[in-house]
Amino acid sequence: MKRQNGTDPGNSSVRRKHKSPQVFFKEIGEILGEYSDGRYLRLSKLQKLIYKILAFFRAIPFAIAGFFKNIGKNIKNAAISLVNEFKDIGSTFAHGDWKTRVSYFVMGFGNITRGQILRGLLFLLFEIVFIVYMIVAGGHWLSLLPSLGKQGPTQSYDPVLDTYTTVYNDNSFKILLYGVLTIFFIIAFIYTWRLNVKQNKLAEQYLKSGKKLKGDKDDLRSMVDEQFYKTLLALPLTGILVFTVMPIVFMILVAFTNYDGAHNGFSNNLFSWVGLDNFNTLFSWQSAGGGQSYSATFGEILAWTLIWAFLATFTNYFLGMFVAMMINKKGIGLKKMWRTILVMTVAIPQFISLLYVSKMFARNGLINLTLKDTLGWISQPLPFWEDATWARVTVILVNIWIGIPYLMLITTGILMNIPADLYESARIDGANAWQQYTKITLPYMLFITGPYLLTSFTGNMNNFNVIYLLTGGAPTNPAASGAAGSVGYTDLLITWLFKITTGAESQYYLASVVGIMVFVVVALISLIVYNVLPSIKNEEDYQ
Amino acid sequence: MSNNKHHMGMKTLNRLSNSAIYTLLVIISVVWLIPFVFIVLQSFRVESTYQVGYVVPHQWGFQNYINLWNSDFKRWYLNTFIIALAAAVLQTIIVLCMSYTLSRFRFKLRGPLMRFMLILGMFPGMLTMIILYRVLSDLGLTQANAVPGLILVSVASSGMGYYVSKGFFDTIPKSLDEAARVDGATRLQVLYKIILPLAKPIVIYTILTAFMGPWGDYVFARYVAFGTSAGYNVAVGMYSWLTNDQINNMYTTFCAGGVIVALPVTILFLCLQKYYVEGVTGGAVKG
Amino acid sequence: MKKLLAIALALALTLSLAACGNGGEPPADGGDAGADLAGTYDVVIWAPEAAVDLTKSQVADFNSSNEYGITINATVEPVSEADAATNMITDVQAGGDLFFFAQDQLSRLIQAGAVSKLGASAVEFAKNNNNAASILAAQSGSDLYAYPLTADNGYFMYYDKSVVPDSDADSLEAIIADCEAAGKNISFELENAWYSAGFFFGTGCHSQWITDDDGNFISIDDDFNSDKGLIAAKGIQKVVTSKSYVNSSNADFASGSAVVVTGTWNYATIKDQIGDNMGVADLPSFEVDGQSYHIGSYSGCKLLGVKPQTDAVRGAALARLAQYLTGKDCQLARFNSFGWGPSNKDALADPAVTSDPTLAALNEQGNYAVPQPNIHGSWWDIAKVIATDIKASDGSDAALKAALDKYEQSIQAVFSMSDDVKNAFTVIGSINGDGWTLDLPMTADGDIWTSNEAYTMDAGVEFKCRQGMSWDVAYPADNFVVETAGTYYIQLNAATGEVSLIPA
Repeated sequence: MKRQNGTDPGNSSVRRKHKSPQVFFKEIGEILGEYSDGRYLRLSKLQKLIYKILAFFRAIPFAIAGFFKNIGKNIKNAAISLVNEFKDIGSTFAHGDWKTRVSYFVMGFGNITRGQILRGLLFLLFEIVFIVYMIVAGGHWLSLLPSLGKQGPTQSYDPVLDTYTTVYNDNSFKILLYGVLTIFFIIAFIYTWRLNVKQNKLAEQYLKSGKKLKGDKDDLRSMVDEQFYKTLLALPLTGILVFTVMPIVFMILVAFTNYDGAHNGFSNNLFSWVGLDNFNTLFSWQSAGGGQSYSATFGEILAWTLIWAFLATFTNYFLGMFVAMMINKKGIGLKKMWRTILVMTVAIPQFISLLYVSKMFARNGLINLTLKDTLGWISQPLPFWEDATWARVTVILVNIWIGIPYLMLITTGILMNIPADLYESARIDGANAWQQYTKITLPYMLFITGPYLLTSFTGNMNNFNVIYLLTGGAPTNPAASGAAGSVGYTDLLITWLFKITTGAESQYYLASVVGIMVFVVVALISLIVYNVLPSIKNEEDYQ
Repeated sequence: MSNNKHHMGMKTLNRLSNSAIYTLLVIISVVWLIPFVFIVLQSFRVESTYQVGYVVPHQWGFQNYINLWNSDFKRWYLNTFIIALAAAVLQTIIVLCMSYTLSRFRFKLRGPLMRFMLILGMFPGMLTMIILYRVLSDLGLTQANAVPGLILVSVASSGMGYYVSKGFFDTIPKSLDEAARVDGATRLQVLYKIILPLAKPIVIYTILTAFMGPWGDYVFARYVAFGTSAGYNVAVGMYSWLTNDQINNMYTTFCAGGVIVALPVTILFLCLQKYYVEGVTGGAVKG
Repeated sequence: MKKLLAIALALALTLSLAACGNGGEPPADGGDAGADLAGTYDVVIWAPEAAVDLTKSQVADFNSSNEYGITINATVEPVSEADAATNMITDVQAGGDLFFFAQDQLSRLIQAGAVSKLGASAVEFAKNNNNAASILAAQSGSDLYAYPLTADNGYFMYYDKSVVPDSDADSLEAIIADCEAAGKNISFELENAWYSAGFFFGTGCHSQWITDDDGNFISIDDDFNSDKGLIAAKGIQKVVTSKSYVNSSNADFASGSAVVVTGTWNYATIKDQIGDNMGVADLPSFEVDGQSYHIGSYSGCKLLGVKPQTDAVRGAALARLAQYLTGKDCQLARFNSFGWGPSNKDALADPAVTSDPTLAALNEQGNYAVPQPNIHGSWWDIAKVIATDIKASDGSDAALKAALDKYEQSIQAVFSMSDDVKNAFTVIGSINGDGWTLDLPMTADGDIWTSNEAYTMDAGVEFKCRQGMSWDVAYPADNFVVETAGTYYIQLNAATGEVSLIPA
């Protein structure tokens, strides 16, 4: 530790100051093309960071090229393993005994006849349910999947009763939903069938070599022991599969249809597949009406989303840490009270506090009225929500109000964990408070909270509540009026997506495309951070 | 002498910085508390029901709370409470299963599974709202039956939120498990005899966050319960009081509702704050 | 082992979902022909919060008084008129059977298939009893889709007499000067097209969307971007650049406003806020280049819609209930309870209605008001930006003109954007006894377009396939003539222009 303090903290910063921008970047550039340990280590910290980021982007084309180069290899490997599977299935049938062969058609037969009753019955049950399902419903949905339905609702007039009635026919939405579910189900069946064949082969080999098969009791015991993880994961993963994976697959598919308010798939018009049209709409540079193009609007919102996420994350982080350090400081009393006061904002549901704060900052809200009428400090109300810049600054300030307590809680714990002797030796070396902070506290914090910062950044990108409850995206961005859903200056991609869905034209397909783009952006950022920050990669290091 | 002087200087400096910190803390506390104090004050205003330009009521009374009692608020409150309770129990079980497994077991698909869930989490959840609504509606769990529907959805996808508690489990030394395994305990016994007692903070943290979530759930809850007051939760019901045609009559009632909603959650939170802090610092920051 | 269990679980879930999916639609137990409507019907009614209790008692009255033996077992849910369309569109099947809604949502509701067309007798009832503007509001093409409930959905001005004397109330410039001098606000929600359009109507502009019988928008006739429009823009500029301007239509007197432009629904609150100081008047005039223009407005209605029904008997019974709820007595009851201005002609003549101060102001404003027609949903988003743009501009004529130019481009783009419609082929001809008036939809698979339905056609039936519902591109060059009677799908190869019949 001493040695670290020994290298004068001012030294490196002085050296950096003297580097001109040209030299600064030239040094990075020179080693980008080639790998040079020695020269890399000579770079300053900032240069190293920039180097890593640049290197990441530089690596992208190579990675893509590599991916395509490997595609051939991968396809070949996949084909070989597929052929092997089939060979295995064939040879098992050819060499297997009659029990095994019957199992090809009656799943679980082999298990039952070999004494693994419970296992066998489950296999059998699954097969029966699958067949019944495919006959009763699955086949129907699957056959309609390519067209998403043929006949929309029809209206007829009843002259006697003098009323119009509607007959509802196909439902594109359900066709897509149950079509996807059926495909999931078929995959599960194929997998299970293969498992069934494999188990038969294994069982035969076991018995032949004179070993004893696992009975039902062993199966049940392993469920709480070696295989305990399967028991624990069964329920959570089923839930995730049905309520997260399936909906995401469905919504990705919607991006390739024309599902919107005018084609809701049931009560007015059916919707159908449209290929990549929706991506063309979002990425065409063609102007959408009098305003700018969709792509320009998307770019504008994306830029603000990133700025917002960056500021929201780091203002909260540093201010939260600052508050925590203030409360933690030796000699400050009533620590518990200060914390409790702050923590109340975490406990009170956001829809109450944010809605209230939103009204407070309104043009004729409490703050303006107090400043103008009661105190007489201003003659005109301040445009907290009406001016683009004001609104953006205000949401960030309010977000600090919301976020600091949470960060304060997190950082309090970590700050207390920093070994006190580090500070002690630093003090002996004559480091002042600021130096202690930059040399000990901050590096320690950044190292420990690296993963948290990343999730917090992506979380802020999708921070629907704060924007929706505070401004609803206001003030309106006139230039983007041609784009769906009346875009405002404080709109994030996520609130735009919501507006597209609930707006006048309910363009679900466009929302879906925007959603996919949000995913791409978040994934890209995460990838970069993973590659640049080493502390995230190695989870085992902490154990 | 000079040494002593130096010491005195440090002391004065310290006192100075401490009083600066006190001033700052007082200012911060005021800023943080003001909106809540205002909401409470407004909830006791009875001379008018709309927004006004002053804070302290001219006339005090309980009329807004009486209005609350006479509205559907009771039903909404009960709905939310049931959802919160169910979520607290079921989500906790799911999250603990998931995080314990991912922390303790090393199986073939562990890495891919965690990566897969990380990727899943990058999709904006908002998108799946429409489809989840349809699934629930086919199961008959929307509108008046929104409560079980909302419980189902929140519990079913809660496995994705394993991150924090996995981080906590990672901090419990593995040697404890191994010692017990050597003594012949099954994995199940290891879990409930050794790990769970040590994991009390994270269990309480999970229960607490699961319980608090439903009180603020607006967008999806509104979508599922649309047009049926009996299926609303407090956020959906109270938000409808702030629409243009209602705000003039319901604004102070909204404030009263806010107080009633915030009170139990806040008290619960403050009581369990210690565990919350332990859980969050133990879990949130360790990969 | 565990894999199996997990799969079985997933599968059980899948199955139960799919089973429900299969049997979702309620069976249509068609009533026997004949107008016997007697029976009990479970009905969900969506009414605004304020009207829930009154609606319940009105349904009870209907049950005891109707002559058909209909008993309605009603559940009345509080759903704001402003949100009715959004809610209905979420899931038409689960929506209210009867629902109150503001007329601007009519086209969205028709488009979503969420309102039922009125039968002939219902149309006659509505037309005979309600004023012309309210019928216009419920109409799309030549059909009626809803029953008029009120005719008070317009706006006028409330003002605080202690700030704005009565003598100033008819001049926008005087009002602005009074408010600025007193440090009071003017609440005028100009960043909402419903309000800002009033300035344009005041200078003689018009904006009219044209719909076909299915509620589809065909074109727009709009001259906001004109010399007259520029005058209106200057009027808007006077308000939005004033330091008193607040973009709001709420009852803001308690929070610093001295003038609020809003409607009858805020009367009680405003009366409570400023009591005897309350003035109610039509909107003021503004002056540009020495000439005075009275600010116009939209006048609109609230309507009662009936969800499409699969059972004709139930549909007929609901029509009876809807007619009762929109009849004279029920409208008057709503006026007495919450001051909703009736659309019923007899109710309008009631002395209590004619002497009401807000309705009097609304009536006065009615001289300058334009009945709100069916408006394309995206227009509100496009037009609300006019005021925003004016506020942000440097105020020069060129800048104002630029704002209007942008507006015009945007509305024109609404049609050019829907390439779907522009590129689609449709069949038109003497099919189904139709006399070349109805375009029948076709679906494309690459260049091959096939009619969505098979039609039964006699020999000699003629038709053409045309693109974008215009005759610019139409195949074949001469009409296609059916040679052998039969049921066919109609198919077109758009690349070659070849038309053929595919037997169904």
